[in-house]
Amino acid sequence: MAVITSPLIGYLNPGKHFTSLGGLATLVVTLAIIPLLFVIYNSLQLSPTQWLGLWSSRLPELLQNTLSLAVLVSIGSVTLGVSSAWWISRREFPGRKLAVWLMILPLTIPTYVFAHIYTSLLEEDGWLGKLWIMLTGNADSIPDLYNIWGVTLVLSLAGFSYVFLLARTSLSQSTRTLEEAARIQGASPIEVFWRVNLPLLRPAIAAGLAVVVLHVLSDFGAVSMLQFQTFTLSIYLQMSGRFDYQAAAGLSMVLVMLSLTFLVLERFFRKRQQYYSARQSRQQPVRKATPFETAMIWLWLGFITLLAFGLPIAWMLSWSWEAWTQGLINSDFWTYTGNSLLVACIAASIAVLAALPVAFYNARRRSLGSQTLLQLSSVGFVLPGPVIALGIISVLLAQLPFLYGGLAALVIAVVIRFLPLAVQSQDAAMAQLTPSVEEVGRSLGAGPLENLWRVVLPMVRGGMATAWVLVFIDTLKELPATLILRPTGFDTLPVRIWIEASEEMLELAAPAALMLVIGTLPVLWIMMGSKTSNNSSAT
Amino acid sequence: MKAYKYLLIYLIPLLFSIIQTTASFASESLVIYSGRSDKFVKPVIAEFTRQTGIKVILHTGKSTALLNKLKVEGSRTDADLFLSNDAGTLQRGSDWGLFQTMNETLVAPVKATLRAPDNTWVGLSARARVLVVNTNGPWANKNLSVFDLADPSLKGKLGITNSTNGSYIAGVTVYMESVGKKKTLQWLKGMKANVDGHVFNKHSKIVKAVAKGKKQVGLVNHYYIYRHLAKHPDAPIKIVLPDQGKNGMGVAWNVAGIAISKHTKQSSAAEKLVAFLISEKGQKQFAEVNREYPTREGIAAHADVPPAGSYKVAYVPMVELGEHRNETIDLIEQVGMP
Repeated sequence: MAVITSPLIGYLNPGKHFTSLGGLATLVVTLAIIPLLFVIYNSLQLSPTQWLGLWSSRLPELLQNTLSLAVLVSIGSVTLGVSSAWWISRREFPGRKLAVWLMILPLTIPTYVFAHIYTSLLEEDGWLGKLWIMLTGNADSIPDLYNIWGVTLVLSLAGFSYVFLLARTSLSQSTRTLEEAARIQGASPIEVFWRVNLPLLRPAIAAGLAVVVLHVLSDFGAVSMLQFQTFTLSIYLQMSGRFDYQAAAGLSMVLVMLSLTFLVLERFFRKRQQYYSARQSRQQPVRKATPFETAMIWLWLGFITLLAFGLPIAWMLSWSWEAWTQGLINSDFWTYTGNSLLVACIAASIAVLAALPVAFYNARRRSLGSQTLLQLSSVGFVLPGPVIALGIISVLLAQLPFLYGGLAALVIAVVIRFLPLAVQSQDAAMAQLTPSVEEVGRSLGAGPLENLWRVVLPMVRGGMATAWVLVFIDTLKELPATLILRPTGFDTLPVRIWIEASEEMLELAAPAALMLVIGTLPVLWIMMGSKTSNNSSAT
Repeated sequence: MKAYKYLLIYLIPLLFSIIQTTASFASESLVIYSGRSDKFVKPVIAEFTRQTGIKVILHTGKSTALLNKLKVEGSRTDADLFLSNDAGTLQRGSDWGLFQTMNETLVAPVKATLRAPDNTWVGLSARARVLVVNTNGPWANKNLSVFDLADPSLKGKLGITNSTNGSYIAGVTVYMESVGKKKTLQWLKGMKANVDGHVFNKHSKIVKAVAKGKKQVGLVNHYYIYRHLAKHPDAPIKIVLPDQGKNGMGVAWNVAGIAISKHTKQSSAAEKLVAFLISEKGQKQFAEVNREYPTREGIAAHADVPPAGSYKVAYVPMVELGEHRNETIDLIEQVGMP
């Protein structure tokens, strides 16, 4: 316990442990957990009988739905992400660079857009519906998505890219000496995959899955479009349908516990496997794929791309064309796009800066205290967007009313929501920052600031760029907090998509979704650029 | 890194955003928190602005979420008016004391049953909860009650929305108030068995399914039927007004309405907007564009729609839709309706 609170003690007791870095990190994390405190405060108002009521009436179903969804989506994303990453990093084949892009482009499409597109594609007059009728001759048997399988499909397609990115980095870094040793010992390729590659990949898969599972637990868009009762949807319904904040807070509390348990487990397993991720220096050229392999690879990658990007983009283009010919695209669209970009740019920049002390402090200390701060900073990811929004409104209005009304409330909420992304990628980048590196800088006569500027920052720049891009992308797609906190009359692309889609104005929802994809492309370009130039920082 | 120059393309839309935002805050505008579809509101509002020169900002979202926002914001709210498509939500806001009392002379043209007793909100258009029936099916020529929807012979043939839908909840509240909790509970159980886990997330999809013959009967707001018929005039569907006859409870009605925020600083402009919306012209535009019933006395609905007064309407004051909303949700959850 003494260790856990050490930054706090250090803060209060300057003589002994004071570090301004620790203080700064503590400050950031304190701000980040404001919504959590709001939830705790509200759930404390629940009487034991109310808890019992919640427990018996809805918790079992919600737990079952949420957990099975997390497991199924994990399986889906690992299948898609690891298989594609393996082929792309282990074989040289025509169009390999393009393939990498195709695997990350689905990140530009939000889950609620996926959900919306696939439900309309599967209607009787949708493309897939027509195809189904052509093949089976039966309109009644068209599968619908309003169940766990539909949600799994949508969330896997929207999330597998995270697993792909991390698995690819890890695969292209580990050398093939271990594989070759296994092959020499007579292991078949499949055995090599199961017994050598997979164990080596485990940390990367775990990290990718952590992102995917947290997205599943906090997803609001897809589950609300597909009406699948998970914690997030149920919390939202308690709040908006019954105006019951306390029940919502109680459910949020359970969700937070669930997510934190998961995070701690993930950290624990990753740590135990650190040995495997040790880097080896000898890199060998990638083997050329045989023509048969090339065909198989493209068949598989083409299939994934078709589902995760091709069909959605084709849908968006065709409805956008419709909108264009009807003259529905006007200057408002530019305003929505601009609004989205404005929030995303501000939030990403602030999140990266705010995450810096937390990650840096942990890199320096590696103590239980710094780890705890790091974990606590992930709270934004595990709380549902609507809950964060409500917490922010209440706290701002009670304590800092002058901040309410403009963009500040929205930016704060989004920064809190996506701070974990920034912290995690900077923390990973700083892992390579051993004390000796800094000592060298010091010994060469650099002061602390110069050291930070000339030694530390250049080394973590790649990680910071990744952090910025990840926060930017997620903010651009953010829906639930934006719906509640946007300034009056300030509509962003996701808000418009949500409004038009719920009115079934597809020709207006599609161009907004397309704009979202286009808007994300430049930053993806940057991320991929910084990845190749500074590969090691993005583990 | 060269790639950063691609960020420059962001400047164009960003400029738009900044210009637009500063422009909208520079002028005094009325702000409406609107829970109704933009496409129905925008034309009327544009007409209002044209006539009076008063600018209006529409802040659209879900009625219930916006009401939450209004409540939490308290005196800090930007909203001058609150527009919702459910009387239950309006009444809830009224119970929380979020709205101003409107002048009796202002709202007098609207039928007293379609506004709050204390005039804190006023109905602008009314919708009837009716049945859509496939004309080729066995249910085409019957006098139906909504309680027939629990009939086991409708298994797999019934279309209803998921039970978070505001219109659905309001409908169930009316039935609960008319026939009591016990019968309503039995009814919900029967419907649950009939839909077998498959409910719709949109009323329009129910109408479509009935037109295709995939479902025989659906429970919807009346205007969805006419919206479908406008696009597909030959669709084999028709409207059935349920629970008529001497002992029938009548059709459930609900209204979309508007309220003036207690904390508005532009009361007179807000009242002008309300006055416009209940004027003959405003009513025609607001209600007719969606084939709803105008709430102003003496104005008829669209010719396609069964005239108000030609059939029996359940006698449950709109206020009760708000007062009993949570009981209804309890009932729905007790049954475990999807």
